[in-house]
Amino acid sequence: MVIYRDEYRLYNFGPSHPFSPVRLEMLTSLLQALGVWREPLVPGEATREDVLSVHSERLVKRVEAASRGEGVPDLEHYGLGTGDTPVFPGMDRAARILVGGTLEGARRILAGEKRVLQLGGGLHHAQYDRSSGFCVYNDLSVAIRHLVRSGLRVAYLDIDVHHGDGVQWIHYEEKEVLTISLHESGRYLFPGTGHVHEIGRGEGVGRKLNLPLEPFTEDESYLEVFEALVPWALGAFRPDVLVVQAGADAHFLDPLADLLLTTRAYERLFRLVLEYAEAYAGGRILLTLGGGYSLDATVRVWALLYLVFHGLPLPERLPEGWLREWEARLGQPLTPTLHDPEAPYPEIPRRQEIEKRNRLTLERLTELVRPHLVH
Amino acid sequence: MLVQDVMRFPVITVGPGVTLEEANRLLLEKGIRHLPVMEEGRLVGIITDRDIRLATSHLNPKGPCPGCAQVGEVMTREVVTAHPLDPVEEAARVMRERKIGCLPVLEDGALVGIVTGIDLLDALLKLTGVTEPSGRLEVRLPDRVGELFRLTGFLAKRGVNIHSLLSYPEEEAFVRAVVRVNTLETHLLAEGLRQEGFEVLWPPKKPW
Repeated sequence: MVIYRDEYRLYNFGPSHPFSPVRLEMLTSLLQALGVWREPLVPGEATREDVLSVHSERLVKRVEAASRGEGVPDLEHYGLGTGDTPVFPGMDRAARILVGGTLEGARRILAGEKRVLQLGGGLHHAQYDRSSGFCVYNDLSVAIRHLVRSGLRVAYLDIDVHHGDGVQWIHYEEKEVLTISLHESGRYLFPGTGHVHEIGRGEGVGRKLNLPLEPFTEDESYLEVFEALVPWALGAFRPDVLVVQAGADAHFLDPLADLLLTTRAYERLFRLVLEYAEAYAGGRILLTLGGGYSLDATVRVWALLYLVFHGLPLPERLPEGWLREWEARLGQPLTPTLHDPEAPYPEIPRRQEIEKRNRLTLERLTELVRPHLVH
Repeated sequence: MLVQDVMRFPVITVGPGVTLEEANRLLLEKGIRHLPVMEEGRLVGIITDRDIRLATSHLNPKGPCPGCAQVGEVMTREVVTAHPLDPVEEAARVMRERKIGCLPVLEDGALVGIVTGIDLLDALLKLTGVTEPSGRLEVRLPDRVGELFRLTGFLAKRGVNIHSLLSYPEEEAFVRAVVRVNTLETHLLAEGLRQEGFEVLWPPKKPW
């Protein structure tokens, strides 16, 4: 089942902001041009109470006031009105619409649906008391909390290139929530956290996993550590449902970060997460979108996600008409094939060292959490 | 950052008449390595886990201290101390130069805290660590008047808030500045900085 609503595109920080609603417009038009678009389920908007299940009233009040255009003096203290997360009219509702989609996905899972793809959301940086990094409200945590309150054990997997800090901190002391985030090391990239030593607190110890990767990590190394870590952790935790934030910004074309995944790695990742859901989570999986700031790459990655999700064959070329239309609109050439070309970037001289360091990070992580996770 | 910002208190102490056995038990129990020795409210010495080991072990090249049974017989009498308003770096320098592991902190003769090497590591973590969600820029600046101003001025003009700024000297009259900023878009900032002639070391320019 796919969840989507055109009003997702109201979540708009302005024409020059990278978290652009054009991504969704371009994606849905591509899926239509490919002839694979099926009518999605249109979700309602989340209520204020839904949002308050993971955010402070202080924060929500400020988002509401700011979206009415009222001046709020301490907005920046709450992570709003910054260059990354500027204020815009109607922001509160726009954010609640995204939350509504992910929450609807959780409700569908509880109603017996196995696979849900939410074509939006994934705002993993928003914290209890603070908006952050393009993320006003944390749709993922609202959905996770709803699932947990309904008695499910939730595994959250975050493949966005940035650390899934908001989700991690909100559920940091919870035993029923396993979080796994693979990201470019916080030593180099926003938000700066996501170190292997962040493993949870109290009852949550050993259930918050972080695998920070070296800049310029490529497909092979990424998949190597992913395939070693994720099934192991899921097998030990035995979740009832897998929630996946499928950000596309670990792609080599992404302008904000430094990992070097190609569409081939993404295809493999999407097939793997569906397999893992079958093997370890009773087949239940809720996928959302997330970061992804190269329009060219992001749209192809998420089209791949949609196709793999539905078990559809992958076309080699993208439709000519669609390419012409979007190349004209964006004023830039686009990759004409669904997959990236072979060897799309120059060879990385430090490859072996990067692979070695990623393996070492994985070892450290498993040493740290094994005593808590496996018993 | 001052000593009072990193010191621990209240301090666990002993009297000079306490037996080495008792002092050792206290160290083990509390998981600490240093005990200031107090007599009538005055600091009269300091004893460490190492002092106790040496005084009681045959592994000591001089052999165990024959008649030593009490703290007062083993403790170091000349204690190097700090004041709560000393800068942390001064405490670090004293500890490094004297090769000692802690400084009792005295104010008007009263013991108000203790600073150990571990506390200084905490201070280092605080100075270099990530306290807010932020991105990282690393820039090599010529070591001359106004360069840091030029860098921070550029960031201010872009509406970027600086969460922390660390700089240290490099060879050949350069300074390395590591800046944590409240944005995901450090690549965009780096590009802007390069256009202004800055040497940006991180994030790198991608050749594709």
